[in-house]
Amino acid sequence: MNLEQIRARSRVVQLVRRYFDEQGFLELQTPRLVGLPGQEPYLEPMWSKVEEADGTPHRGALITSPEYAMKRMLAAGFEKIYDLGPCFRNDEPWDGTHDPEFLMVEWYEKGIGLSELMERTEAMVKWVAGQYGKPFSETAFRRLSVRDAMKQYANVELDSLIGDREAVAEACREHHQTVNEADTWDDLFFKIFLSEVEPKLGEVPTFLHTYPVSMAALAKKDPSDPRYALRTELYIGSLELANGFVELTDATEQRKRFEEEQELRRSLGKETWPIDERFLEALPKMGEASGIAFGVDRLAMLLTGAKSLSELMPIPVRERF
Amino acid sequence: MASPNDIKKGVVIKDSAGLWLVVEFQHINPGKGAAFVRTRIRNLESGKTLEATYKTSETIELVEVEHRRMQYLFHDASGYTFMDQESFDQVSMADDAVGEQGKYLRDGMEINMTTHEGRPLSIELPRKMTFKVIESMDATGGNTVSGGNMTKEVTVEGGIKVKAPLFIKQGENIIVNTETGEYVERA
Repeated sequence: MNLEQIRARSRVVQLVRRYFDEQGFLELQTPRLVGLPGQEPYLEPMWSKVEEADGTPHRGALITSPEYAMKRMLAAGFEKIYDLGPCFRNDEPWDGTHDPEFLMVEWYEKGIGLSELMERTEAMVKWVAGQYGKPFSETAFRRLSVRDAMKQYANVELDSLIGDREAVAEACREHHQTVNEADTWDDLFFKIFLSEVEPKLGEVPTFLHTYPVSMAALAKKDPSDPRYALRTELYIGSLELANGFVELTDATEQRKRFEEEQELRRSLGKETWPIDERFLEALPKMGEASGIAFGVDRLAMLLTGAKSLSELMPIPVRERF
Repeated sequence: MASPNDIKKGVVIKDSAGLWLVVEFQHINPGKGAAFVRTRIRNLESGKTLEATYKTSETIELVEVEHRRMQYLFHDASGYTFMDQESFDQVSMADDAVGEQGKYLRDGMEINMTTHEGRPLSIELPRKMTFKVIESMDATGGNTVSGGNMTKEVTVEGGIKVKAPLFIKQGENIIVNTETGEYVERA
Protein backbone atom coordinates (compact mmCIF):
# COMPACT_ATOMS: atom_id res chain seq x y z
CA MET A 1 0.00 0.00 0.00
CA ASN A 2 1.39 3.37 -1.02
CA LEU A 3 0.24 6.04 1.42
CA GLU A 4 1.60 8.82 -0.79
CA GLN A 5 -0.58 7.76 -3.71
CA ILE A 6 -3.69 7.42 -1.54
CA ARG A 7 -3.02 10.87 -0.09
CA ALA A 8 -2.56 12.24 -3.63
CA ARG A 9 -5.98 10.94 -4.67
CA SER A 10 -7.59 12.64 -1.67
CA ARG A 11 -5.85 15.86 -2.62
CA VAL A 12 -7.22 15.67 -6.17
CA VAL A 13 -10.76 15.09 -4.86
CA GLN A 14 -10.37 18.06 -2.51
CA LEU A 15 -9.16 20.32 -5.34
CA VAL A 16 -12.00 19.33 -7.67
CA ARG A 17 -14.51 20.22 -4.96
CA ARG A 18 -12.75 23.50 -4.29
CA TYR A 19 -12.86 24.44 -7.96
CA PHE A 20 -16.61 23.99 -8.21
CA ASP A 21 -17.31 25.60 -4.83
CA GLU A 22 -15.28 28.67 -5.80
CA GLN A 23 -17.00 28.87 -9.18
CA GLY A 24 -20.41 29.12 -7.51
CA PHE A 25 -21.66 25.56 -8.08
CA LEU A 26 -23.78 23.93 -5.39
CA GLU A 27 -22.72 20.44 -4.38
CA LEU A 28 -25.69 18.09 -4.20
CA GLN A 29 -25.65 14.66 -2.62
CA THR A 30 -28.03 12.86 -4.95
CA PRO A 31 -29.05 9.27 -4.12
CA ARG A 32 -26.74 6.36 -4.87
CA LEU A 33 -29.50 3.77 -4.50
CA VAL A 34 -32.53 4.20 -6.77
CA GLY A 35 -35.47 2.20 -8.11
CA LEU A 36 -34.92 2.94 -11.81
CA PRO A 37 -31.28 3.33 -12.82
CA GLY A 38 -30.10 4.42 -16.27
CA GLN A 39 -30.79 1.96 -19.03
CA GLU A 40 -27.83 2.56 -21.35
CA PRO A 41 -27.44 -0.58 -23.46
CA TYR A 42 -23.80 -1.14 -22.45
CA LEU A 43 -23.82 -0.09 -18.81
CA GLU A 44 -24.90 -2.62 -16.20
CA PRO A 45 -26.26 -1.41 -12.87
CA MET A 46 -25.81 -3.46 -9.68
CA TRP A 47 -29.17 -4.58 -8.35
CA SER A 48 -30.25 -5.04 -4.78
CA LYS A 49 -33.47 -5.39 -2.80
CA VAL A 50 -34.78 -2.69 -0.48
CA GLU A 51 -37.36 -3.66 2.14
CA GLU A 52 -39.57 -1.49 4.34
CA ALA A 53 -40.15 -2.36 8.00
CA ASP A 54 -43.39 -4.20 7.16
CA GLY A 55 -41.58 -6.30 4.58
CA THR A 56 -42.77 -4.40 1.48
CA PRO A 57 -40.05 -5.13 -1.08
CA HIS A 58 -38.64 -2.76 -3.69
CA ARG A 59 -36.03 -3.43 -6.30
CA GLY A 60 -33.12 -1.04 -6.01
CA ALA A 61 -29.95 -0.43 -7.98
CA LEU A 62 -26.75 1.51 -7.42
CA ILE A 63 -26.49 4.36 -9.91
CA THR A 64 -24.20 4.18 -12.93
CA SER A 65 -24.24 8.01 -12.88
CA PRO A 66 -26.30 10.65 -11.06
CA GLU A 67 -27.68 12.03 -14.34
CA TYR A 68 -31.43 11.52 -13.82
CA ALA A 69 -31.42 12.98 -10.34
CA MET A 70 -29.27 15.94 -11.39
CA LYS A 71 -31.58 16.81 -14.27
CA ARG A 72 -34.57 16.66 -11.96
CA MET A 73 -32.75 19.13 -9.71
CA LEU A 74 -32.24 21.46 -12.69
CA ALA A 75 -35.96 21.16 -13.42
CA ALA A 76 -36.65 22.02 -9.77
CA GLY A 77 -34.81 25.32 -10.25
CA PHE A 78 -31.08 24.89 -9.51
CA GLU A 79 -28.76 26.58 -12.04
CA LYS A 80 -25.20 25.38 -11.39
CA ILE A 81 -24.82 22.08 -9.58
CA TYR A 82 -22.31 19.28 -9.12
CA ASP A 83 -22.28 15.84 -7.54
CA LEU A 84 -19.01 14.19 -6.56
CA GLY A 85 -19.37 10.65 -5.34
CA PRO A 86 -19.05 6.97 -6.16
CA CYS A 87 -20.79 5.45 -9.18
CA PHE A 88 -21.13 1.74 -9.80
CA ARG A 89 -20.88 -0.27 -12.99
CA ASN A 90 -21.03 -4.00 -13.36
CA ASP A 91 -19.41 -6.25 -15.98
CA GLU A 92 -16.46 -3.97 -16.67
CA PRO A 93 -12.86 -5.14 -17.03
CA TRP A 94 -10.76 -4.84 -13.83
CA ASP A 95 -7.86 -3.71 -15.94
CA GLY A 96 -6.32 -0.86 -14.01
CA THR A 97 -8.43 1.89 -15.60
CA HIS A 98 -11.78 0.56 -14.35
CA ASP A 99 -13.07 -0.20 -10.88
CA PRO A 100 -16.69 -1.32 -10.31
CA GLU A 101 -16.92 1.53 -7.77
CA PHE A 102 -15.30 4.75 -8.90
CA LEU A 103 -15.44 8.44 -8.11
CA MET A 104 -17.18 10.64 -10.58
CA VAL A 105 -17.90 14.34 -10.59
CA GLU A 106 -20.88 15.29 -12.69
CA TRP A 107 -21.82 18.91 -13.16
CA TYR A 108 -24.52 20.89 -14.94
CA GLU A 109 -24.77 24.49 -15.91
CA LYS A 110 -27.86 26.16 -17.32
CA GLY A 111 -27.73 28.26 -20.47
CA ILE A 112 -24.42 27.03 -21.86
CA GLY A 113 -23.63 25.12 -25.07
CA LEU A 114 -21.02 22.61 -26.17
CA SER A 115 -18.11 25.03 -26.55
CA GLU A 116 -18.68 26.54 -23.08
CA LEU A 117 -18.93 23.03 -21.64
CA MET A 118 -15.53 22.16 -23.10
CA GLU A 119 -14.09 25.46 -21.85
CA ARG A 120 -15.37 24.81 -18.32
CA THR A 121 -13.94 21.29 -18.34
CA GLU A 122 -10.57 22.48 -19.59
CA ALA A 123 -10.49 25.25 -17.00
CA MET A 124 -11.25 22.79 -14.20
CA VAL A 125 -8.59 20.28 -15.30
CA LYS A 126 -5.96 23.01 -15.68
CA TRP A 127 -6.79 24.63 -12.36
CA VAL A 128 -6.68 21.33 -10.45
CA ALA A 129 -3.46 20.29 -12.20
CA GLY A 130 -1.86 23.68 -11.45
CA GLN A 131 -2.85 23.58 -7.76
CA TYR A 132 -1.64 20.00 -7.53
CA GLY A 133 1.73 21.08 -8.87
CA LYS A 134 1.64 19.39 -12.27
CA PRO A 135 0.49 22.24 -14.52
CA PHE A 136 -0.46 21.71 -18.16
CA SER A 137 1.08 23.97 -20.78
CA GLU A 138 -0.99 27.01 -21.65
CA THR A 139 -1.82 25.60 -25.08
CA ALA A 140 -5.56 25.09 -25.45
CA PHE A 141 -6.78 21.50 -25.54
CA ARG A 142 -7.54 20.37 -29.08
CA ARG A 143 -11.18 20.37 -30.28
CA LEU A 144 -11.78 17.68 -32.88
CA SER A 145 -15.13 16.56 -34.26
CA VAL A 146 -15.74 12.83 -34.69
CA ARG A 147 -16.16 13.52 -38.40
CA ASP A 148 -12.73 15.21 -38.68
CA ALA A 149 -11.07 12.59 -36.49
CA MET A 150 -12.35 9.77 -38.71
CA LYS A 151 -11.11 11.63 -41.77
CA GLN A 152 -7.73 12.53 -40.29
CA TYR A 153 -6.79 9.18 -38.75
CA ALA A 154 -8.77 6.59 -40.72
CA ASN A 155 -9.43 8.42 -43.98
CA VAL A 156 -13.14 7.69 -43.64
CA GLU A 157 -15.85 10.14 -44.77
CA LEU A 158 -18.30 9.77 -41.92
CA ASP A 159 -21.06 11.88 -43.49
CA SER A 160 -21.66 9.32 -46.21
CA LEU A 161 -21.88 6.45 -43.68
CA ILE A 162 -24.29 7.86 -41.10
CA GLY A 163 -27.36 5.69 -40.75
CA ASP A 164 -26.26 3.42 -43.61
CA ARG A 165 -25.29 0.03 -42.19
CA GLU A 166 -24.22 -1.41 -45.53
CA ALA A 167 -21.93 1.56 -46.19
CA VAL A 168 -20.21 1.30 -42.81
CA ALA A 169 -19.92 -2.49 -43.27
CA GLU A 170 -18.15 -1.89 -46.58
CA ALA A 171 -15.79 0.59 -44.92
CA CYS A 172 -15.04 -2.06 -42.27
CA ARG A 173 -14.15 -4.62 -44.93
CA GLU A 174 -11.83 -2.11 -46.60
CA HIS A 175 -10.16 -1.51 -43.22
CA HIS A 176 -9.72 -5.21 -42.54
CA GLN A 177 -12.36 -5.37 -39.82
CA THR A 178 -14.73 -8.28 -39.38
CA VAL A 179 -18.40 -7.77 -40.26
CA ASN A 180 -21.06 -9.98 -38.71
CA GLU A 181 -24.81 -10.03 -39.12
CA ALA A 182 -25.33 -9.15 -35.47
CA ASP A 183 -23.14 -6.03 -35.70
CA THR A 184 -25.08 -2.77 -35.37
CA TRP A 185 -24.05 0.45 -37.11
CA ASP A 186 -22.42 1.59 -33.86
CA ASP A 187 -20.47 -1.69 -33.50
CA LEU A 188 -19.06 -1.33 -37.01
CA PHE A 189 -18.22 2.32 -36.44
CA PHE A 190 -16.40 1.35 -33.22
CA LYS A 191 -14.28 -1.29 -34.99
CA ILE A 192 -12.71 1.39 -37.18
CA PHE A 193 -12.74 4.08 -34.50
CA LEU A 194 -11.10 1.91 -31.80
CA SER A 195 -8.50 0.48 -34.23
CA GLU A 196 -7.36 3.60 -35.98
CA VAL A 197 -8.60 6.71 -34.20
CA GLU A 198 -8.96 6.31 -30.45
CA PRO A 199 -5.34 5.24 -29.73
CA LYS A 200 -4.10 8.52 -31.23
CA LEU A 201 -6.59 10.94 -29.71
CA GLY A 202 -4.81 11.60 -26.43
CA GLU A 203 -1.40 12.43 -27.95
CA VAL A 204 -2.37 15.99 -27.13
CA PRO A 205 -5.27 16.64 -24.72
CA THR A 206 -8.32 16.46 -27.00
CA PHE A 207 -12.03 17.08 -26.79
CA LEU A 208 -13.65 14.77 -29.31
CA HIS A 209 -17.07 16.20 -30.09
CA THR A 210 -20.22 16.09 -32.21
CA TYR A 211 -21.08 12.39 -32.41
CA PRO A 212 -23.36 10.44 -34.72
CA VAL A 213 -26.80 10.85 -33.17
CA SER A 214 -27.20 7.10 -32.52
CA MET A 215 -24.31 7.34 -30.05
CA ALA A 216 -25.71 10.08 -27.86
CA ALA A 217 -29.02 9.04 -26.31
CA LEU A 218 -29.28 11.97 -23.89
CA ALA A 219 -27.84 14.73 -26.06
CA LYS A 220 -29.47 17.41 -28.15
CA LYS A 221 -29.14 17.12 -31.93
CA ASP A 222 -26.78 19.51 -33.69
CA PRO A 223 -29.13 22.19 -35.09
CA SER A 224 -26.88 22.63 -38.14
CA ASP A 225 -26.81 18.90 -38.95
CA PRO A 226 -29.36 16.61 -37.26
CA ARG A 227 -27.38 13.48 -38.15
CA TYR A 228 -25.05 14.48 -35.32
CA ALA A 229 -25.55 15.20 -31.62
CA LEU A 230 -23.86 17.65 -29.25
CA ARG A 231 -21.71 15.32 -27.19
CA THR A 232 -18.06 15.53 -26.16
CA GLU A 233 -15.45 13.26 -24.60
CA LEU A 234 -12.07 14.33 -23.22
CA TYR A 235 -8.99 12.23 -23.99
CA ILE A 236 -5.62 12.80 -22.35
CA GLY A 237 -2.83 10.27 -22.85
CA SER A 238 -4.41 6.85 -23.05
CA LEU A 239 -7.32 7.83 -20.79
CA GLU A 240 -10.87 8.90 -21.58
CA LEU A 241 -11.67 11.29 -18.76
CA ALA A 242 -15.11 12.72 -19.40
CA ASN A 243 -18.32 12.39 -21.38
CA GLY A 244 -20.80 15.25 -21.65
CA PHE A 245 -23.76 16.59 -23.57
CA VAL A 246 -25.80 19.59 -24.42
CA GLU A 247 -28.80 18.02 -22.78
CA LEU A 248 -31.85 16.82 -24.62
CA THR A 249 -34.93 18.49 -23.11
CA ASP A 250 -37.62 17.20 -25.48
CA ALA A 251 -39.52 14.52 -23.53
CA THR A 252 -41.10 12.96 -26.64
CA GLU A 253 -37.73 12.55 -28.35
CA GLN A 254 -36.20 11.31 -25.10
CA ARG A 255 -38.93 8.67 -24.70
CA LYS A 256 -38.32 7.51 -28.27
CA ARG A 257 -34.56 7.15 -27.60
CA PHE A 258 -35.17 5.30 -24.32
CA GLU A 259 -37.48 2.88 -26.14
CA GLU A 260 -34.79 2.31 -28.78
CA GLU A 261 -32.29 1.62 -26.00
CA GLN A 262 -34.64 -0.86 -24.36
CA GLU A 263 -35.11 -2.54 -27.72
CA LEU A 264 -31.34 -2.82 -28.16
CA ARG A 265 -30.96 -4.26 -24.64
CA ARG A 266 -33.60 -6.87 -25.41
CA SER A 267 -31.89 -7.81 -28.67
CA LEU A 268 -28.64 -8.28 -26.70
CA GLY A 269 -30.48 -10.60 -24.33
CA LYS A 270 -30.24 -8.09 -21.49
CA GLU A 271 -32.78 -7.21 -18.84
CA THR A 272 -34.93 -4.08 -19.20
CA TRP A 273 -37.01 -2.14 -16.66
CA PRO A 274 -39.64 0.60 -16.86
CA ILE A 275 -38.70 4.05 -18.13
CA ASP A 276 -38.36 6.60 -15.32
CA GLU A 277 -41.57 8.61 -15.84
CA ARG A 278 -40.70 11.15 -13.13
CA PHE A 279 -37.54 11.92 -15.06
CA LEU A 280 -39.42 12.38 -18.35
CA GLU A 281 -41.97 14.59 -16.62
CA ALA A 282 -39.24 16.86 -15.28
CA LEU A 283 -37.29 17.08 -18.54
CA PRO A 284 -39.22 19.90 -20.28
CA LYS A 285 -38.87 22.09 -17.14
CA MET A 286 -35.12 21.66 -17.06
CA GLY A 287 -34.35 24.48 -19.51
CA GLU A 288 -31.31 24.60 -21.78
CA ALA A 289 -28.33 23.14 -19.98
CA SER A 290 -25.13 21.20 -20.51
CA GLY A 291 -23.53 18.65 -18.25
CA ILE A 292 -20.60 16.30 -18.12
CA ALA A 293 -19.55 13.21 -16.19
CA PHE A 294 -15.88 13.30 -15.29
CA GLY A 295 -13.73 10.47 -13.88
CA VAL A 296 -12.01 11.88 -10.80
CA ASP A 297 -9.96 8.71 -10.24
CA ARG A 298 -8.64 8.90 -13.78
CA LEU A 299 -7.63 12.54 -13.26
CA ALA A 300 -5.79 11.37 -10.14
CA MET A 301 -4.04 8.69 -12.23
CA LEU A 302 -2.97 11.33 -14.70
CA LEU A 303 -1.60 13.73 -12.09
CA THR A 304 0.12 11.11 -9.93
CA GLY A 305 1.47 9.07 -12.84
CA ALA A 306 -0.14 5.95 -11.34
CA LYS A 307 -0.27 3.14 -13.90
CA SER A 308 -3.29 1.51 -12.28
CA LEU A 309 -6.25 2.64 -10.18
CA SER A 310 -5.22 -0.01 -7.68
CA GLU A 311 -2.29 2.19 -6.67
CA LEU A 312 -4.68 4.98 -5.64
CA MET A 313 -7.58 3.14 -4.05
CA PRO A 314 -7.46 2.67 -0.26
CA ILE A 315 -8.52 -0.97 -0.88
CA PRO A 316 -7.98 -2.03 -4.51
CA VAL A 317 -10.70 -4.02 -6.26
CA ARG A 318 -8.80 -7.32 -6.15
CA GLU A 319 -8.54 -7.04 -2.38
CA ARG A 320 -12.27 -6.38 -1.96
CA PHE A 321 -13.69 -9.39 -3.73
CA MET B 1 -14.22 -21.59 -33.52
CA ALA B 2 -13.01 -19.35 -30.75
CA SER B 3 -14.01 -16.18 -28.91
CA PRO B 4 -12.07 -12.91 -29.06
CA ASN B 5 -11.75 -13.38 -25.29
CA ASP B 6 -9.25 -16.17 -26.13
CA ILE B 7 -6.95 -13.71 -27.89
CA LYS B 8 -3.50 -13.49 -26.34
CA LYS B 9 -0.11 -12.37 -27.53
CA GLY B 10 1.27 -15.05 -29.87
CA VAL B 11 -2.00 -16.69 -30.94
CA VAL B 12 -2.67 -16.93 -34.67
CA ILE B 13 -5.96 -15.79 -36.21
CA LYS B 14 -7.08 -17.20 -39.52
CA ASP B 15 -9.36 -15.18 -41.80
CA SER B 16 -10.03 -14.81 -45.53
CA ALA B 17 -6.79 -12.80 -45.92
CA GLY B 18 -4.60 -15.49 -44.37
CA LEU B 19 -2.88 -16.09 -41.04
CA TRP B 20 -2.28 -13.27 -38.59
CA LEU B 21 -0.07 -13.34 -35.51
CA VAL B 22 -1.39 -11.31 -32.57
CA VAL B 23 1.40 -8.94 -31.55
CA GLU B 24 -0.55 -6.85 -29.03
CA PHE B 25 -4.07 -6.92 -27.64
CA GLN B 26 -6.24 -4.93 -25.24
CA HIS B 27 -9.76 -5.34 -23.90
CA ILE B 28 -11.80 -2.18 -24.39
CA ASN B 29 -15.09 -1.15 -23.00
CA PRO B 30 -16.07 2.23 -24.42
CA GLY B 31 -19.00 2.56 -21.96
CA LYS B 32 -21.30 3.86 -24.64
CA GLY B 33 -20.58 0.78 -26.80
CA ALA B 34 -20.22 -2.99 -26.71
CA ALA B 35 -17.11 -4.73 -25.33
CA PHE B 36 -14.26 -5.13 -27.80
CA VAL B 37 -10.78 -6.60 -28.06
CA ARG B 38 -8.38 -4.35 -29.94
CA THR B 39 -5.44 -6.14 -31.53
CA ARG B 40 -2.33 -5.40 -33.49
CA ILE B 41 -1.81 -8.29 -35.90
CA ARG B 42 0.92 -9.25 -38.36
CA ASN B 43 0.28 -11.17 -41.55
CA LEU B 44 2.51 -14.23 -41.66
CA GLU B 45 2.90 -14.10 -45.45
CA SER B 46 3.37 -10.41 -46.19
CA GLY B 47 4.61 -9.21 -42.82
CA LYS B 48 2.05 -6.39 -43.04
CA THR B 49 0.90 -5.12 -39.64
CA LEU B 50 -2.50 -3.62 -38.91
CA GLU B 51 -5.02 -2.94 -36.13
CA ALA B 52 -8.18 -5.01 -35.98
CA THR B 53 -10.92 -4.75 -33.36
CA TYR B 54 -13.27 -7.63 -32.54
CA LYS B 55 -16.53 -7.55 -30.62
CA THR B 56 -16.21 -10.00 -27.73
CA SER B 57 -19.50 -11.62 -28.75
CA GLU B 58 -18.37 -12.58 -32.26
CA THR B 59 -16.57 -15.79 -33.23
CA ILE B 60 -13.13 -15.99 -34.78
CA GLU B 61 -10.88 -18.80 -35.96
CA LEU B 62 -7.62 -19.46 -34.12
CA VAL B 63 -5.11 -21.95 -35.53
CA GLU B 64 -3.06 -24.45 -33.51
CA VAL B 65 0.48 -23.40 -32.73
CA GLU B 66 3.39 -25.39 -31.29
CA HIS B 67 5.83 -24.21 -28.61
CA ARG B 68 9.45 -25.23 -28.96
CA ARG B 69 12.51 -24.66 -26.82
CA MET B 70 15.28 -23.10 -28.92
CA GLN B 71 18.86 -21.99 -28.49
CA TYR B 72 19.96 -18.80 -30.21
CA LEU B 73 23.02 -19.41 -32.39
CA PHE B 74 23.92 -16.40 -34.52
CA HIS B 75 22.75 -13.47 -36.63
CA ASP B 76 23.67 -12.96 -40.28
CA ALA B 77 22.21 -11.57 -43.50
CA SER B 78 19.38 -14.12 -43.48
CA GLY B 79 18.29 -13.09 -39.99
CA TYR B 80 18.48 -14.90 -36.64
CA THR B 81 19.29 -18.61 -36.48
CA PHE B 82 18.13 -20.88 -33.66
CA MET B 83 18.52 -24.58 -32.88
CA ASP B 84 15.69 -26.81 -31.68
CA GLN B 85 16.74 -28.29 -28.31
CA GLU B 86 15.05 -31.64 -29.05
CA SER B 87 15.53 -32.29 -32.76
CA PHE B 88 18.67 -30.12 -33.17
CA ASP B 89 17.16 -28.72 -36.40
CA GLN B 90 18.24 -25.20 -37.26
CA VAL B 91 15.59 -22.57 -37.97
CA SER B 92 16.04 -19.01 -39.24
CA MET B 93 13.80 -16.03 -38.63
CA ALA B 94 13.93 -12.77 -40.58
CA ASP B 95 14.91 -9.56 -38.77
CA ASP B 96 11.40 -8.14 -39.23
CA ALA B 97 9.76 -11.17 -37.64
CA VAL B 98 11.99 -10.96 -34.56
CA GLY B 99 11.66 -7.19 -34.41
CA GLU B 100 12.73 -5.23 -31.33
CA GLN B 101 13.36 -8.40 -29.33
CA GLY B 102 16.41 -9.16 -31.48
CA LYS B 103 18.56 -6.68 -29.61
CA TYR B 104 18.22 -8.69 -26.39
CA LEU B 105 19.38 -12.00 -27.92
CA ARG B 106 22.77 -13.24 -26.77
CA ASP B 107 24.72 -16.14 -28.25
CA GLY B 108 23.78 -19.44 -26.68
CA MET B 109 20.73 -18.23 -24.74
CA GLU B 110 17.56 -20.34 -24.65
CA ILE B 111 14.18 -18.97 -25.63
CA ASN B 112 10.67 -20.23 -26.35
CA MET B 113 9.56 -20.18 -29.99
CA THR B 114 6.02 -20.42 -31.31
CA THR B 115 5.68 -22.23 -34.63
CA HIS B 116 2.84 -23.10 -36.97
CA GLU B 117 3.32 -26.25 -39.06
CA GLY B 118 7.02 -26.00 -38.36
CA ARG B 119 7.27 -22.34 -39.40
CA PRO B 120 8.62 -19.92 -36.79
CA LEU B 121 6.11 -17.23 -35.79
CA SER B 122 7.47 -15.50 -32.76
CA ILE B 123 9.97 -15.82 -29.94
CA GLU B 124 9.47 -15.21 -26.26
CA LEU B 125 12.35 -13.87 -24.19
CA PRO B 126 12.72 -14.10 -20.43
CA ARG B 127 10.76 -11.10 -19.15
CA LYS B 128 13.66 -9.86 -17.06
CA MET B 129 17.28 -10.07 -18.21
CA THR B 130 20.51 -8.92 -16.59
CA PHE B 131 22.92 -6.69 -18.50
CA LYS B 132 26.25 -5.12 -17.71
CA VAL B 133 26.40 -1.34 -18.04
CA ILE B 134 29.17 -0.53 -20.49
CA GLU B 135 28.73 3.21 -20.68
CA SER B 136 27.28 5.62 -18.18
CA MET B 137 27.84 9.32 -17.93
CA ASP B 138 28.03 10.85 -14.51
CA ALA B 139 24.86 12.60 -13.49
CA THR B 140 24.26 16.01 -15.04
CA GLY B 141 23.93 16.23 -18.83
CA GLY B 142 21.03 14.43 -20.46
CA ASN B 143 19.12 13.86 -17.25
CA THR B 144 15.37 13.74 -17.56
CA VAL B 145 12.56 13.57 -15.05
CA SER B 146 10.25 10.61 -15.45
CA GLY B 147 7.49 9.88 -12.95
CA GLY B 148 9.11 12.15 -10.40
CA ASN B 149 12.48 10.31 -10.48
CA MET B 150 15.61 11.64 -12.14
CA THR B 151 16.96 9.26 -14.78
CA LYS B 152 19.83 9.20 -17.25
CA GLU B 153 20.54 7.15 -20.32
CA VAL B 154 23.04 4.30 -19.95
CA THR B 155 24.31 1.83 -22.55
CA VAL B 156 24.39 -1.88 -21.72
CA GLU B 157 25.93 -4.87 -23.50
CA GLY B 158 24.69 -5.18 -27.06
CA GLY B 159 24.56 -1.38 -27.37
CA ILE B 160 21.06 -1.17 -25.86
CA LYS B 161 20.16 2.18 -24.34
CA VAL B 162 18.18 2.14 -21.12
CA LYS B 163 16.88 4.94 -18.87
CA ALA B 164 18.29 4.22 -15.43
CA PRO B 165 18.47 6.02 -12.07
CA LEU B 166 21.36 8.45 -11.55
CA PHE B 167 23.16 6.17 -9.07
CA ILE B 168 23.88 3.47 -11.70
CA LYS B 169 27.56 3.34 -12.64
CA GLN B 170 29.59 1.84 -15.44
CA GLY B 171 30.49 -1.82 -14.82
CA GLU B 172 27.40 -2.54 -12.68
CA ASN B 173 24.78 -5.12 -13.67
CA ILE B 174 21.16 -4.02 -14.07
CA ILE B 175 17.92 -5.89 -14.74
CA VAL B 176 15.91 -4.78 -17.76
CA ASN B 177 12.28 -5.62 -18.61
CA THR B 178 12.48 -6.99 -22.16
CA GLU B 179 8.81 -6.22 -22.90
CA THR B 180 8.99 -2.54 -22.09
CA GLY B 181 12.73 -1.89 -22.37
CA GLU B 182 12.60 -0.29 -18.93
CA TYR B 183 15.08 -0.49 -16.06
CA VAL B 184 13.80 -2.74 -13.24
CA GLU B 185 16.47 -2.77 -10.55
CA ARG B 186 20.15 -3.24 -9.80
CA ALA B 187 21.16 -6.89 -10.28
